[in-house]
Amino acid sequence: MGLLRYTIYRLLQAIPVLIGISIITFVLANLAPGDPVRLMLQGQQADEELIRTIEQRYGLDQPLHVRYWNYMTGLVQGDLGYSIHRRRPVSDLMLERAGPTLLLVLSAYLFAIVTAIPLGIIAAKRRNEPTDHISRIVALIGVSTPSFWIGIMLIIVFAVRLGVLPSAGLVYPWQPPEAAGHGSYLEHWTETIRHLILPMIALGTLQMATLMRVERTQMIESLQEEYVKLARAYGVPERTILRKHAFRSAQLPIITIIGLNLSTALGGAVLVETVFAINGIGRLFVEAIQQLDYQLIMGITMVLGFMFVVGVVITDISYAYIDPRVTYGERE
Amino acid sequence: MSSEPLLRVENLKTQFFTETGTVRAVDGISFEVYEGEIVGLVGESGAGKSVASMSLLRLVESPGEIVGGTIEYKGETIFDLEEGPDGELREHPDMLSESEMRERIRGREIAVIFQDPMESLNPVFTVGGQLREFIEINRELPKDEAKAEAVRMLREVGIPDPEDRYEEYPHQFSGGMRQRVLIAMALACEPNLIIADEPTTALDVTVEGQILDLVDDLQDRYDTSFIWVTHDMGVVAEICDRVNVMYLGEVVEQAPVDELFYDTKHPYTSALLDSMPRPDRTVDELEPIEGVMPEAINPPSGCRFHPRCPDAREVCTRVHPENLEVDQAEGYPHRAACVKHDVFDVGYDESVPLEKGDEAETRVGETGSDENVDSTVEEGQASTDGGKANEANQTNRSPNRDGGESRP
Amino acid sequence: MATTESQLDDQEPGAAEGGSVDEEVETRVGWRYTLAKVKRDATARIGLYIVAFVIFIAAFAAIDSNLSRLTFDTMSDYTAAQAIPFFDHPTRIPPPGEAHPNEPPVFVDGGSLSHPLGTDPQGRDYFTRIIYGSQVSVSVGLASTAIGLIGGTIIGSIAGYYGGWIDDLLMRSVETVYAIPPLVLIIVFTVFISGGSPDIQYAVIGVGIAFIPVFARIIRSRVLSVREMDYIEAARAAGVKDRNIIRRHVIPNSFAPVMVYATLQIGVTILIVAGLSFLGYGAQPPTPDWGEMLRIAHGRYMHSNIWLSIWPGLAILVTIMGFNLFGDGLQDALDPRIEN
Repeated sequence: MGLLRYTIYRLLQAIPVLIGISIITFVLANLAPGDPVRLMLQGQQADEELIRTIEQRYGLDQPLHVRYWNYMTGLVQGDLGYSIHRRRPVSDLMLERAGPTLLLVLSAYLFAIVTAIPLGIIAAKRRNEPTDHISRIVALIGVSTPSFWIGIMLIIVFAVRLGVLPSAGLVYPWQPPEAAGHGSYLEHWTETIRHLILPMIALGTLQMATLMRVERTQMIESLQEEYVKLARAYGVPERTILRKHAFRSAQLPIITIIGLNLSTALGGAVLVETVFAINGIGRLFVEAIQQLDYQLIMGITMVLGFMFVVGVVITDISYAYIDPRVTYGERE
Repeated sequence: MSSEPLLRVENLKTQFFTETGTVRAVDGISFEVYEGEIVGLVGESGAGKSVASMSLLRLVESPGEIVGGTIEYKGETIFDLEEGPDGELREHPDMLSESEMRERIRGREIAVIFQDPMESLNPVFTVGGQLREFIEINRELPKDEAKAEAVRMLREVGIPDPEDRYEEYPHQFSGGMRQRVLIAMALACEPNLIIADEPTTALDVTVEGQILDLVDDLQDRYDTSFIWVTHDMGVVAEICDRVNVMYLGEVVEQAPVDELFYDTKHPYTSALLDSMPRPDRTVDELEPIEGVMPEAINPPSGCRFHPRCPDAREVCTRVHPENLEVDQAEGYPHRAACVKHDVFDVGYDESVPLEKGDEAETRVGETGSDENVDSTVEEGQASTDGGKANEANQTNRSPNRDGGESRP
Repeated sequence: MATTESQLDDQEPGAAEGGSVDEEVETRVGWRYTLAKVKRDATARIGLYIVAFVIFIAAFAAIDSNLSRLTFDTMSDYTAAQAIPFFDHPTRIPPPGEAHPNEPPVFVDGGSLSHPLGTDPQGRDYFTRIIYGSQVSVSVGLASTAIGLIGGTIIGSIAGYYGGWIDDLLMRSVETVYAIPPLVLIIVFTVFISGGSPDIQYAVIGVGIAFIPVFARIIRSRVLSVREMDYIEAARAAGVKDRNIIRRHVIPNSFAPVMVYATLQIGVTILIVAGLSFLGYGAQPPTPDWGEMLRIAHGRYMHSNIWLSIWPGLAILVTIMGFNLFGDGLQDALDPRIEN
């Protein structure tokens, strides 16, 4: 099977998962005591007439299965519904807010990978030496600390105390510099990076710690493989063994973990965006929950699930690319 | 044959330092390998064969360490200790450094073939790429020449369509084909000595035969010396010129192969031969060796084989025999480490024969209780050995536990 | 998780060889062996101490004024406060003039020993609130993990043992639940179930349910491997009821890997609930919860009163670290490959 066909095949496989997500959110949204319109108008005087009008307008007066069917037919056409609160299509809102979230999550992963893999390798190489112990402690703290608290601490140290980095917002690199009031692209992008550093670390630490642990274990295992011993017996320098012979096969589980952890990372984005006041999907979700904007909530859940599924498909493909034993479409 | 051996090992000792104690995996073995011969290293699982062979390349992994003896290869000192002015042992100044070992000895002079062809090739690189890398490193050929050489070697070891197979990955090869690749790797580096560590154990019998024929044929043409590590006396008979029989880290008998088979001098060797299936015997005539090999962590006193030895006498529990020359054959010495030979003169003939059974059984029981030490200790080198020892133990142990009842 | 399973599958080498009586003996020996190894392992020991310490504090706080904890709405704040001789009660709002709001910790200028970690914006002793926070975190962690564990054991053993469509449904639901970030899923659940007024008990149930599929998956894979064993075949052939086979053989056999996972899961749970409270969908004021305390600290006092942000985070960190260390140690102890 070719790469393209494999990709399509994997995406098709994801359809049941997406249907599952829609069922879960739909059921949850309708489990709510009281109907959505009443919830929406919470705090305001509920005018029966008004409620009925709203219900009719958005088809909420119809039975559950009809509403689900309507929602699904909309989804297939790329219509995520309409936010009653914001009076805008959900898909528009999502497009607006996806950029910052993707920028944040991707840079957090970049941070995690760039730090975790070398540290994991060093720890494995110097197993049970001080370097190893230190890196293990760092990893342990990393998996035990809430991302939002790391964010708060970073703000206190770098923004409040030292005043070297901004504590809130993002500068979007895809915007023209003038829009952000910057004179040149250089200034614009420098600002982007300066704004990105703290949230990136806050969100990336958990991923870094997880990846570091896996990398260490994998490298230790890999370094004990027969083929590594064989390479040693044939005079291959230790550096080459580490960087080539043991490294490559040790990365396979890492790829899988990166894909699966995307779910945690997207959840973490909700918290980190709140701490750093970043207008991404995460913050939109918090707002939607506060307003009980249930079309928007469902839309966000669907989009986050979709992002995860796409991420997993991408990691699957790179897995198949790096491991010759996996032929596209016939994974064990 | 030249009088100067290619490889000379003297009193080699390799130990593993574990929490539970020091394991004397290799405990003072001596042997030589001359140019163009195949020397067998035979023994049961856990006898220290694999550790001995890795010691020759100085590739014993932590917590193992070579603690004594001399290894000389072509006049170069692979390992030697000398006593310093303060009485401490330290490395001899002539001893090759780690980088010299890597650059001059490993692969280039002494190559290895591992036991398990399934695990010995890296699954994420092409077979050809791995072969080419070793050729590049050890023969300093440019990439394209190394590739041509790799393809030539693949053809040489009988792999059809070597150009196509060069690009394939290990999982696309069968076990026998992978072992051929490993042989090609060994030969391609043009070493003078190849250590083959149970290279046919993981293969089925027909493939084993093909591989043995191949090695025999290639050995004739390349005139490479081999150290052939095995537990299979049949393979020894088929391929080896001279044999060292190992038991619990020691060489207990050393002789040219015919001499060893027809004029066996050590009871352990006899036992090994008697336990080997042969076409001229029925199953009933097979005599398995009694008990299991004890731990190298706490070897029996005196002769290490005495708890299992049919000829054991009281003296055997006290006297630890050296591997002494007891005979001559084909210009080589026939050495055996058994006090029943006259050379030893420790009063074997007058000694009381041991009541066989009780001693052996207690030994077995003891071993069973802490068997897992062995497998952890020898981690890489003898992990499969350890596994087998475990299995053997389980079956041996159960009668003890259940009071003689057999289990389903 | 996948590694956990495969590692643990190597356990119990003797399991396949004997009959059911023998099997039980093996299991018991295995447990004693595990415990001995946990005691020897320094990591596990430190983890155990931390966990024991936090649980002790939580229990102490509960015993000391459990009445006031349960009934802080009906009892006068002041009488409740007298239950703790040393520090102010966490939910008591002192009368004006008695305490200074936002008093800093003792080692900062203006701090005093009566409030070693300072006070919160309402003048409540921060140290006491941190102590009481342990109660919320520990009970939330244990309760929701227990929900996940029990639910997962039931569903997983049924799915694994019977296979077929139940199994398919389970695996699909695992994939689905995996796909939605747990935090998002739990918030949606909590908010909708509670009809828009979330509180900690909804969060506990939400977290518990969200992790049922994960536990179910582990149990299922254990069941699949146990199911193939000879003694199960023998039991089935002898006419032992399915339910009894599951209860007597399958579940005990799956216990070890699940315990490891559950221990690590408690940490994850505490982390998630802290996040939930931080967003305002977990514990509600005046319940002293670390996440909730961080929410208030972040909202208005991040710049001015730094200590409000520091202590709850440290408390979360130490608690989760304890469970993680213990879980790691347990895992090492159960993994035959990490000997010495």
